[in-house]
Amino acid sequence: MKVAVLGAATTQFGELWDISPRALVREAVSEALLASNLRITDIDALYVGNMLSGILGGQENLGAFFAEELGFAGPAFKIEGACASGGLAFYNGAVAVRSGMFERVLVVGVEKMTDHKPEDVALGLMGAGSDVERQAGITFPGLYAILARAHMEKYGTTEEELAAVAVKNHFHAVLNSKAHFNNLITIAKVLASPKIADPLKLLDCSPISDGAAAAVIVSEAVAQKGQTPVWLIGAGVASDSLGLAGRKEITSLSAAKRAAKLAYKAARVGPRDIEVAEVHDCFTIAELIALEDLGFYEPGKAGKALLREELTLGKAQHLVVNPSGGLKACGHPVGATGVKQVVEIVSQLRGTSGKRQVEKTRIGLTHNVGGSGAVAAVHIFQGKAGSGKGKG
Amino acid sequence: MNSPVKIWRNQKKIKELLGKEGVIISWTQVRVPLAGFEEQAPYYVVLVRLADRNYLGQLVDVTGIVATGQKVKAVIRRLRRPEAEDVIPYGIKFVLLA
Repeated sequence: MKVAVLGAATTQFGELWDISPRALVREAVSEALLASNLRITDIDALYVGNMLSGILGGQENLGAFFAEELGFAGPAFKIEGACASGGLAFYNGAVAVRSGMFERVLVVGVEKMTDHKPEDVALGLMGAGSDVERQAGITFPGLYAILARAHMEKYGTTEEELAAVAVKNHFHAVLNSKAHFNNLITIAKVLASPKIADPLKLLDCSPISDGAAAAVIVSEAVAQKGQTPVWLIGAGVASDSLGLAGRKEITSLSAAKRAAKLAYKAARVGPRDIEVAEVHDCFTIAELIALEDLGFYEPGKAGKALLREELTLGKAQHLVVNPSGGLKACGHPVGATGVKQVVEIVSQLRGTSGKRQVEKTRIGLTHNVGGSGAVAAVHIFQGKAGSGKGKG
Repeated sequence: MNSPVKIWRNQKKIKELLGKEGVIISWTQVRVPLAGFEEQAPYYVVLVRLADRNYLGQLVDVTGIVATGQKVKAVIRRLRRPEAEDVIPYGIKFVLLA
Protein backbone atom coordinates (compact mmCIF):
# COMPACT_ATOMS: atom_id res chain seq x y z
CA MET A 1 0.00 0.00 0.00
CA LYS A 2 1.45 3.35 -1.01
CA VAL A 3 1.61 6.24 1.41
CA ALA A 4 1.76 9.91 0.46
CA VAL A 5 2.12 13.30 2.09
CA LEU A 6 -0.47 15.93 1.16
CA GLY A 7 -0.35 19.25 3.02
CA ALA A 8 2.73 20.07 5.05
CA ALA A 9 3.63 23.30 6.84
CA THR A 10 5.80 24.85 9.51
CA THR A 11 5.44 27.92 11.67
CA GLN A 12 8.13 30.52 11.96
CA PHE A 13 11.07 29.06 13.92
CA GLY A 14 12.87 31.22 16.48
CA GLU A 15 12.56 32.86 19.87
CA LEU A 16 8.78 33.19 19.87
CA TRP A 17 8.13 34.48 23.38
CA ASP A 18 4.62 35.70 22.58
CA ILE A 19 3.38 32.45 21.01
CA SER A 20 2.22 29.42 23.03
CA PRO A 21 2.72 25.77 22.03
CA ARG A 22 -1.05 25.56 21.41
CA ALA A 23 -0.92 28.50 18.99
CA LEU A 24 2.14 27.08 17.23
CA VAL A 25 0.44 23.75 16.64
CA ARG A 26 -2.84 25.36 15.58
CA GLU A 27 -1.03 27.45 12.97
CA ALA A 28 1.00 24.61 11.45
CA VAL A 29 -1.99 22.24 11.42
CA SER A 30 -4.38 24.79 9.90
CA GLU A 31 -2.01 25.37 7.01
CA ALA A 32 -1.32 21.66 6.46
CA LEU A 33 -5.02 20.78 6.51
CA LEU A 34 -5.94 23.64 4.18
CA ALA A 35 -3.29 22.53 1.69
CA SER A 36 -4.65 18.97 1.95
CA ASN A 37 -8.21 20.11 1.31
CA LEU A 38 -9.19 18.34 4.56
CA ARG A 39 -10.80 19.37 7.83
CA ILE A 40 -9.77 18.17 11.28
CA THR A 41 -12.90 15.99 11.37
CA ASP A 42 -11.58 14.11 8.31
CA ILE A 43 -8.48 13.02 10.23
CA ASP A 44 -8.38 9.45 11.58
CA ALA A 45 -5.48 9.80 14.03
CA LEU A 46 -3.07 12.37 15.46
CA TYR A 47 0.63 11.74 16.20
CA VAL A 48 2.52 14.38 18.19
CA GLY A 49 6.31 14.47 18.28
CA ASN A 50 7.70 16.27 21.34
CA MET A 51 10.55 15.81 23.78
CA LEU A 52 10.61 18.39 26.56
CA SER A 53 7.05 19.44 27.44
CA GLY A 54 7.05 17.21 30.54
CA ILE A 55 10.50 17.91 31.91
CA LEU A 56 10.46 21.66 31.17
CA GLY A 57 6.81 22.65 31.12
CA GLY A 58 5.28 20.06 33.42
CA GLN A 59 2.75 19.16 30.71
CA GLU A 60 2.39 15.55 29.61
CA ASN A 61 -0.53 13.77 27.94
CA LEU A 62 0.21 15.71 24.78
CA GLY A 63 -1.98 13.57 22.53
CA ALA A 64 -5.09 14.70 24.37
CA PHE A 65 -3.65 18.17 24.99
CA PHE A 66 -3.35 18.99 21.28
CA ALA A 67 -6.44 16.97 20.32
CA GLU A 68 -8.42 19.32 22.57
CA GLU A 69 -6.77 22.35 21.03
CA LEU A 70 -7.50 21.16 17.49
CA GLY A 71 -11.07 20.04 18.17
CA PHE A 72 -10.13 16.44 17.45
CA ALA A 73 -11.72 13.51 19.28
CA GLY A 74 -10.05 10.47 17.69
CA PRO A 75 -6.96 8.52 18.68
CA ALA A 76 -4.08 10.84 19.59
CA PHE A 77 -0.55 9.78 20.53
CA LYS A 78 2.62 11.44 21.72
CA ILE A 79 5.84 9.96 20.37
CA GLU A 80 9.13 10.72 22.12
CA GLY A 81 12.62 9.91 20.86
CA ALA A 82 14.66 12.93 21.97
CA CYS A 83 15.58 15.12 18.98
CA ALA A 84 14.21 12.41 16.66
CA SER A 85 10.71 12.70 18.19
CA GLY A 86 9.37 14.36 15.04
CA GLY A 87 10.88 11.77 12.72
CA LEU A 88 9.57 8.94 14.88
CA ALA A 89 6.08 10.50 15.00
CA PHE A 90 6.11 10.71 11.21
CA TYR A 91 7.32 7.10 10.95
CA ASN A 92 4.53 5.90 13.24
CA GLY A 93 1.91 7.87 11.31
CA ALA A 94 3.15 6.36 8.05
CA VAL A 95 3.14 2.84 9.52
CA ALA A 96 -0.46 3.34 10.65
CA VAL A 97 -1.61 4.43 7.18
CA ARG A 98 0.39 1.69 5.49
CA SER A 99 -1.17 -0.91 7.78
CA GLY A 100 -4.59 0.08 6.51
CA MET A 101 -5.73 1.03 10.01
CA PHE A 102 -6.09 4.71 9.10
CA GLU A 103 -6.46 6.61 5.83
CA ARG A 104 -5.68 10.15 6.93
CA VAL A 105 -3.17 10.79 9.70
CA LEU A 106 -2.03 14.15 11.02
CA VAL A 107 1.55 14.32 12.29
CA VAL A 108 2.65 17.30 14.37
CA GLY A 109 6.05 18.12 15.80
CA VAL A 110 6.35 20.88 18.37
CA GLU A 111 8.76 22.25 20.94
CA LYS A 112 8.69 25.31 23.18
CA MET A 113 12.22 25.84 24.49
CA THR A 114 12.83 29.55 25.02
CA ASP A 115 10.50 29.82 28.05
CA HIS A 116 13.26 28.20 30.12
CA LYS A 117 16.79 29.16 31.12
CA PRO A 118 19.65 27.57 29.15
CA GLU A 119 21.06 25.41 32.00
CA ASP A 120 17.61 23.87 32.49
CA VAL A 121 17.14 23.30 28.76
CA ALA A 122 20.61 21.70 28.65
CA LEU A 123 19.69 19.42 31.56
CA GLY A 124 16.34 18.59 29.95
CA LEU A 125 18.07 17.68 26.68
CA MET A 126 20.45 15.46 28.64
CA GLY A 127 17.37 13.37 29.39
CA ALA A 128 18.26 11.89 26.00
CA GLY A 129 21.61 10.66 27.30
CA SER A 130 22.61 8.08 29.87
CA ASP A 131 22.69 8.37 33.65
CA VAL A 132 26.49 8.23 33.57
CA GLU A 133 26.60 11.12 31.10
CA ARG A 134 24.41 13.28 33.33
CA GLN A 135 26.64 12.45 36.30
CA ALA A 136 29.67 13.57 34.30
CA GLY A 137 28.05 16.97 33.74
CA ILE A 138 28.41 16.62 30.00
CA THR A 139 26.12 18.58 27.71
CA PHE A 140 24.96 17.78 24.18
CA PRO A 141 27.57 20.11 22.68
CA GLY A 142 30.06 18.18 24.83
CA LEU A 143 28.96 14.77 23.51
CA TYR A 144 29.21 15.93 19.91
CA ALA A 145 32.55 17.56 20.72
CA ILE A 146 33.80 14.11 21.76
CA LEU A 147 32.58 12.73 18.41
CA ALA A 148 34.21 15.67 16.61
CA ARG A 149 37.60 15.18 18.25
CA ALA A 150 37.56 11.45 17.46
CA HIS A 151 36.68 12.21 13.81
CA MET A 152 39.39 14.88 13.58
CA GLU A 153 42.03 12.57 15.01
CA LYS A 154 41.05 9.60 12.84
CA TYR A 155 40.56 11.39 9.50
CA GLY A 156 42.32 14.73 9.87
CA THR A 157 39.00 16.60 9.76
CA THR A 158 39.59 20.28 10.48
CA GLU A 159 37.69 23.01 12.34
CA GLU A 160 37.41 24.85 9.00
CA GLU A 161 35.60 21.86 7.47
CA LEU A 162 33.18 21.85 10.38
CA ALA A 163 32.68 25.61 10.04
CA ALA A 164 31.80 25.14 6.35
CA VAL A 165 28.61 23.33 7.45
CA ALA A 166 27.46 26.36 9.42
CA VAL A 167 28.37 28.77 6.61
CA LYS A 168 26.37 26.75 4.06
CA ASN A 169 23.34 26.36 6.28
CA HIS A 170 23.21 30.05 7.19
CA PHE A 171 23.40 30.85 3.45
CA HIS A 172 20.38 28.61 2.85
CA ALA A 173 18.48 30.03 5.83
CA VAL A 174 18.74 33.53 4.42
CA LEU A 175 16.47 32.24 1.63
CA ASN A 176 13.95 30.82 4.13
CA SER A 177 11.57 33.33 5.69
CA LYS A 178 10.60 30.79 8.40
CA ALA A 179 14.19 30.31 9.58
CA HIS A 180 15.45 31.26 13.05
CA PHE A 181 18.52 33.04 11.60
CA ASN A 182 18.72 35.19 8.49
CA ASN A 183 22.35 36.28 8.58
CA LEU A 184 25.30 35.17 6.50
CA ILE A 185 28.40 34.01 8.36
CA THR A 186 31.95 33.17 7.32
CA ILE A 187 34.38 30.42 8.28
CA ALA A 188 36.50 33.03 10.08
CA LYS A 189 33.48 34.13 12.11
CA VAL A 190 32.69 30.55 13.13
CA LEU A 191 36.29 29.94 14.17
CA ALA A 192 36.33 33.17 16.21
CA SER A 193 33.07 32.46 18.04
CA PRO A 194 33.25 31.53 21.75
CA LYS A 195 34.05 27.94 22.62
CA ILE A 196 31.14 25.96 24.02
CA ALA A 197 32.77 22.51 24.34
CA ASP A 198 36.14 22.24 22.60
CA PRO A 199 36.48 21.88 19.65
CA LEU A 200 32.90 23.06 19.10
CA LYS A 201 32.21 26.77 19.17
CA LEU A 202 29.00 28.76 19.41
CA LEU A 203 28.51 28.89 15.64
CA ASP A 204 29.01 25.11 15.37
CA CYS A 205 25.83 24.68 17.44
CA SER A 206 22.16 24.80 16.50
CA PRO A 207 20.13 27.29 18.53
CA ILE A 208 17.44 26.79 21.17
CA SER A 209 14.26 27.47 19.21
CA ASP A 210 10.49 27.41 19.38
CA GLY A 211 8.42 26.09 16.50
CA ALA A 212 5.97 23.55 15.14
CA ALA A 213 5.53 21.61 11.91
CA ALA A 214 2.68 19.48 10.58
CA ALA A 215 2.18 16.99 7.77
CA VAL A 216 -0.83 15.03 6.57
CA ILE A 217 -0.13 11.41 5.61
CA VAL A 218 -2.74 9.63 3.50
CA SER A 219 -3.39 6.36 1.74
CA GLU A 220 -3.07 6.06 -2.03
CA ALA A 221 -6.84 6.22 -2.45
CA VAL A 222 -7.04 9.58 -0.69
CA ALA A 223 -3.80 10.91 -2.20
CA GLN A 224 -5.27 12.04 -5.49
CA LYS A 225 -7.27 14.81 -3.77
CA GLY A 226 -5.74 18.08 -2.57
CA GLN A 227 -2.16 19.02 -3.46
CA THR A 228 0.16 16.97 -5.63
CA PRO A 229 1.01 13.95 -3.49
CA VAL A 230 4.61 13.29 -2.54
CA TRP A 231 5.19 9.58 -2.05
CA LEU A 232 7.01 8.07 0.88
CA ILE A 233 9.04 5.36 -0.85
CA GLY A 234 11.30 4.20 1.98
CA ALA A 235 11.65 4.50 5.74
CA GLY A 236 14.00 3.14 8.38
CA VAL A 237 14.43 3.53 12.13
CA ALA A 238 17.23 2.03 14.21
CA SER A 239 18.44 2.22 17.82
CA ASP A 240 21.78 2.13 19.63
CA SER A 241 23.17 2.54 23.15
CA LEU A 242 21.94 5.67 24.94
CA GLY A 243 25.44 6.75 25.89
CA LEU A 244 28.60 7.19 23.82
CA ALA A 245 30.46 4.76 26.07
CA GLY A 246 28.30 1.92 24.76
CA ARG A 247 29.27 2.41 21.09
CA LYS A 248 31.69 0.25 19.12
CA GLU A 249 32.90 3.31 17.21
CA ILE A 250 32.39 7.03 17.61
CA THR A 251 33.35 8.44 14.20
CA SER A 252 29.99 7.43 12.74
CA LEU A 253 26.49 6.78 14.10
CA SER A 254 25.61 3.13 13.67
CA ALA A 255 21.87 3.75 14.16
CA ALA A 256 21.85 6.28 11.31
CA LYS A 257 23.75 3.93 9.01
CA ARG A 258 21.33 1.09 9.74
CA ALA A 259 18.23 3.32 9.38
CA ALA A 260 19.55 4.56 6.03
CA LYS A 261 20.20 1.02 4.83
CA LEU A 262 16.60 0.06 5.63
CA ALA A 263 15.22 3.14 3.89
CA TYR A 264 17.37 2.74 0.77
CA LYS A 265 16.41 -0.92 0.51
CA ALA A 266 12.69 -0.22 0.82
CA ALA A 267 12.89 2.63 -1.70
CA ARG A 268 15.09 0.64 -4.07
CA VAL A 269 17.39 3.62 -4.46
CA GLY A 270 20.93 4.38 -3.35
CA PRO A 271 22.78 7.44 -2.06
CA ARG A 272 23.55 8.56 -5.64
CA ASP A 273 19.82 8.87 -6.39
CA ILE A 274 19.23 11.47 -3.67
CA GLU A 275 19.09 15.02 -5.02
CA VAL A 276 18.01 16.93 -1.93
CA ALA A 277 18.42 15.99 1.74
CA GLU A 278 17.56 17.46 5.11
CA VAL A 279 20.05 16.01 7.61
CA HIS A 280 20.36 16.35 11.37
CA ASP A 281 22.98 19.07 11.86
CA CYS A 282 22.40 19.76 15.56
CA PHE A 283 26.15 20.49 15.51
CA THR A 284 28.36 20.94 12.46
CA ILE A 285 30.11 17.62 13.12
CA ALA A 286 26.70 15.93 13.05
CA GLU A 287 26.11 16.99 9.43
CA LEU A 288 29.60 15.92 8.41
CA ILE A 289 29.07 12.48 9.96
CA ALA A 290 25.56 12.29 8.46
CA LEU A 291 26.95 12.82 4.94
CA GLU A 292 29.21 9.81 5.50
CA ASP A 293 26.64 7.66 7.31
CA LEU A 294 24.12 8.21 4.49
CA GLY A 295 26.70 7.06 1.92
CA PHE A 296 27.02 10.41 0.13
CA TYR A 297 30.76 10.35 0.88
CA GLU A 298 33.31 7.80 2.03
CA PRO A 299 34.27 8.11 5.71
CA GLY A 300 36.67 11.01 6.12
CA LYS A 301 35.80 12.62 2.76
CA ALA A 302 32.80 14.82 3.59
CA GLY A 303 34.83 17.64 5.14
CA LYS A 304 36.74 18.41 1.94
CA ALA A 305 33.49 18.33 -0.07
CA LEU A 306 31.97 20.84 2.33
CA LEU A 307 34.95 23.17 1.88
CA ARG A 308 34.48 22.87 -1.90
CA GLU A 309 30.83 23.94 -1.36
CA GLU A 310 29.59 20.85 -3.24
CA LEU A 311 26.36 20.73 -1.27
CA THR A 312 25.42 24.40 -1.44
CA LEU A 313 22.38 25.66 -3.35
CA GLY A 314 23.43 27.19 -6.68
CA LYS A 315 26.82 25.47 -6.57
CA ALA A 316 25.90 21.82 -6.08
CA GLN A 317 26.15 19.56 -9.11
CA HIS A 318 24.13 16.68 -7.81
CA LEU A 319 22.93 17.00 -4.20
CA VAL A 320 21.88 19.93 -2.01
CA VAL A 321 21.95 19.35 1.75
CA ASN A 322 19.83 21.28 4.24
CA PRO A 323 18.21 23.79 1.88
CA SER A 324 15.95 24.91 4.77
CA GLY A 325 19.02 26.08 6.69
CA GLY A 326 19.07 22.84 8.69
CA LEU A 327 18.93 22.70 12.45
CA LYS A 328 21.90 25.05 12.57
CA ALA A 329 20.24 28.04 10.95
CA CYS A 330 16.54 27.25 10.40
CA GLY A 331 16.45 26.41 14.11
CA HIS A 332 16.02 23.30 16.23
CA PRO A 333 12.79 23.11 18.23
CA VAL A 334 13.67 19.50 18.95
CA GLY A 335 10.28 17.78 18.65
CA ALA A 336 9.41 19.80 15.54
CA THR A 337 12.66 19.19 13.65
CA GLY A 338 11.92 15.74 12.19
CA VAL A 339 8.56 16.91 10.84
CA LYS A 340 10.04 20.17 9.55
CA GLN A 341 12.57 18.15 7.54
CA VAL A 342 9.66 16.31 5.88
CA VAL A 343 7.89 19.62 5.19
CA GLU A 344 11.01 20.98 3.47
CA ILE A 345 11.58 17.89 1.32
CA VAL A 346 7.89 17.71 0.33
CA SER A 347 8.01 21.37 -0.71
CA GLN A 348 11.25 20.82 -2.66
CA LEU A 349 9.80 17.81 -4.50
CA ARG A 350 6.67 19.80 -5.38
CA GLY A 351 8.77 22.65 -6.70
CA THR A 352 7.21 25.16 -4.30
CA SER A 353 10.34 26.23 -2.40
CA GLY A 354 10.69 29.60 -4.11
CA LYS A 355 14.12 31.19 -3.82
CA ARG A 356 15.66 28.08 -2.29
CA GLN A 357 14.20 25.63 -4.81
CA VAL A 358 16.61 22.88 -5.82
CA GLU A 359 16.29 22.44 -9.59
CA LYS A 360 14.82 19.33 -11.18
CA THR A 361 14.68 17.37 -7.98
CA ARG A 362 12.75 14.13 -7.88
CA ILE A 363 14.01 12.14 -4.88
CA GLY A 364 14.66 13.57 -1.41
CA LEU A 365 15.71 12.25 1.97
CA THR A 366 15.31 13.20 5.63
CA HIS A 367 17.71 12.11 8.40
CA ASN A 368 16.70 12.76 12.01
CA VAL A 369 18.81 11.69 15.01
CA GLY A 370 17.91 11.43 18.69
CA GLY A 371 20.45 11.76 21.48
CA SER A 372 24.07 11.38 20.45
CA GLY A 373 22.98 8.69 17.96
CA ALA A 374 20.81 6.48 20.18
CA VAL A 375 18.02 6.56 17.61
CA ALA A 376 17.77 7.62 13.98
CA ALA A 377 14.95 7.88 11.47
CA VAL A 378 15.53 8.11 7.71
CA HIS A 379 12.74 8.73 5.19
CA ILE A 380 12.96 8.83 1.39
CA PHE A 381 10.38 10.64 -0.74
CA GLN A 382 9.58 10.81 -4.43
CA GLY A 383 7.84 13.69 -6.11
CA LYS A 384 6.30 12.34 -9.28
CA ALA A 385 3.04 10.50 -8.73
CA GLY A 386 2.89 6.95 -9.98
CA SER A 387 6.42 6.84 -11.41
CA GLY A 388 7.86 5.39 -8.23
CA LYS A 389 10.66 2.87 -8.34
CA GLY A 390 9.79 2.08 -4.75
CA LYS A 391 7.24 -0.27 -3.35
CA GLY A 392 5.72 2.49 -1.20
CA MET B 1 17.46 15.32 40.60
CA ASN B 2 18.37 12.00 42.22
CA SER B 3 16.38 10.39 45.00
CA PRO B 4 18.37 9.01 47.98
CA VAL B 5 17.33 5.48 47.08
CA LYS B 6 18.60 5.92 43.52
CA ILE B 7 21.93 7.22 44.81
CA TRP B 8 22.14 4.25 47.21
CA ARG B 9 21.40 1.79 44.39
CA ASN B 10 23.99 3.34 42.06
CA GLN B 11 26.70 3.51 44.74
CA LYS B 12 27.21 -0.22 44.27
CA LYS B 13 28.53 0.48 40.78
CA ILE B 14 31.22 2.84 42.10
CA LYS B 15 33.32 0.12 43.68
CA GLU B 16 33.41 -1.86 40.42
CA LEU B 17 35.19 1.07 38.77
CA LEU B 18 37.20 2.62 41.58
CA GLY B 19 40.97 2.44 41.01
CA LYS B 20 40.65 1.08 37.47
CA GLU B 21 43.06 2.47 34.91
CA GLY B 22 42.32 3.29 31.30
CA VAL B 23 43.22 5.39 28.27
CA ILE B 24 41.54 8.55 26.97
CA ILE B 25 39.84 7.84 23.60
CA SER B 26 38.38 11.32 23.14
CA TRP B 27 37.72 14.37 25.29
CA THR B 28 36.20 17.82 25.50
CA GLN B 29 36.26 20.78 27.82
CA VAL B 30 32.73 21.85 28.70
CA ARG B 31 32.59 25.66 28.98
CA VAL B 32 28.82 26.09 29.16
CA PRO B 33 27.81 23.79 32.01
CA LEU B 34 24.83 21.69 32.91
CA ALA B 35 22.60 22.84 35.79
CA GLY B 36 24.29 21.69 39.02
CA PHE B 37 27.80 21.95 37.57
CA GLU B 38 28.06 25.74 37.22
CA GLU B 39 30.83 26.25 39.80
CA GLN B 40 33.01 23.55 38.20
CA ALA B 41 33.01 25.09 34.69
CA PRO B 42 35.06 24.89 32.61
CA TYR B 43 35.62 21.17 33.18
CA TYR B 44 37.08 18.32 31.16
CA VAL B 45 35.00 15.27 30.22
CA VAL B 46 36.80 12.23 28.86
CA LEU B 47 35.73 9.03 27.12
CA VAL B 48 37.96 6.35 28.60
CA ARG B 49 38.73 2.82 27.44
CA LEU B 50 38.96 0.58 30.50
CA ALA B 51 39.87 -3.12 30.36
CA ASP B 52 36.31 -4.36 29.97
CA ARG B 53 34.27 -1.34 28.90
CA ASN B 54 34.28 2.31 27.88
CA TYR B 55 33.26 4.90 30.46
CA LEU B 56 32.55 8.61 30.29
CA GLY B 57 33.44 10.88 33.20
CA GLN B 58 35.00 14.12 34.29
CA LEU B 59 38.77 14.50 34.33
CA VAL B 60 39.80 16.50 37.39
CA ASP B 61 42.97 17.92 39.01
CA VAL B 62 44.28 18.80 35.54
CA THR B 63 47.37 21.03 35.61
CA GLY B 64 48.86 20.41 32.15
CA ILE B 65 47.57 19.49 28.74
CA VAL B 66 44.92 16.86 28.01
CA ALA B 67 45.26 14.56 24.98
CA THR B 68 43.92 11.28 23.66
CA GLY B 69 46.10 8.32 24.58
CA GLN B 70 46.86 9.62 28.08
CA LYS B 71 46.46 7.14 30.92
CA VAL B 72 43.91 7.87 33.64
CA LYS B 73 42.69 6.30 36.87
CA ALA B 74 39.16 6.23 38.34
CA VAL B 75 38.75 8.07 41.65
CA ILE B 76 35.76 8.94 43.81
CA ARG B 77 34.62 12.58 43.96
CA ARG B 78 31.56 14.68 44.67
CA LEU B 79 29.72 14.82 41.35
CA ARG B 80 27.80 18.08 41.42
CA ARG B 81 26.23 20.68 43.65
CA PRO B 82 23.35 19.06 45.56
CA GLU B 83 20.02 20.78 46.04
CA ALA B 84 19.31 21.99 49.61
CA GLU B 85 17.69 18.74 50.77
CA ASP B 86 19.60 16.31 48.52
CA VAL B 87 21.97 13.58 49.55
CA ILE B 88 25.41 14.72 48.37
CA PRO B 89 26.05 12.69 45.19
CA TYR B 90 29.45 10.98 44.90
CA GLY B 91 30.69 9.03 41.91
CA ILE B 92 33.50 8.25 39.52
CA LYS B 93 35.80 10.87 38.04
CA PHE B 94 39.24 10.42 36.51
CA VAL B 95 42.71 11.79 37.22
CA LEU B 96 45.71 11.68 34.91
CA LEU B 97 48.41 9.14 35.76
CA ALA B 98 51.83 10.73 35.88
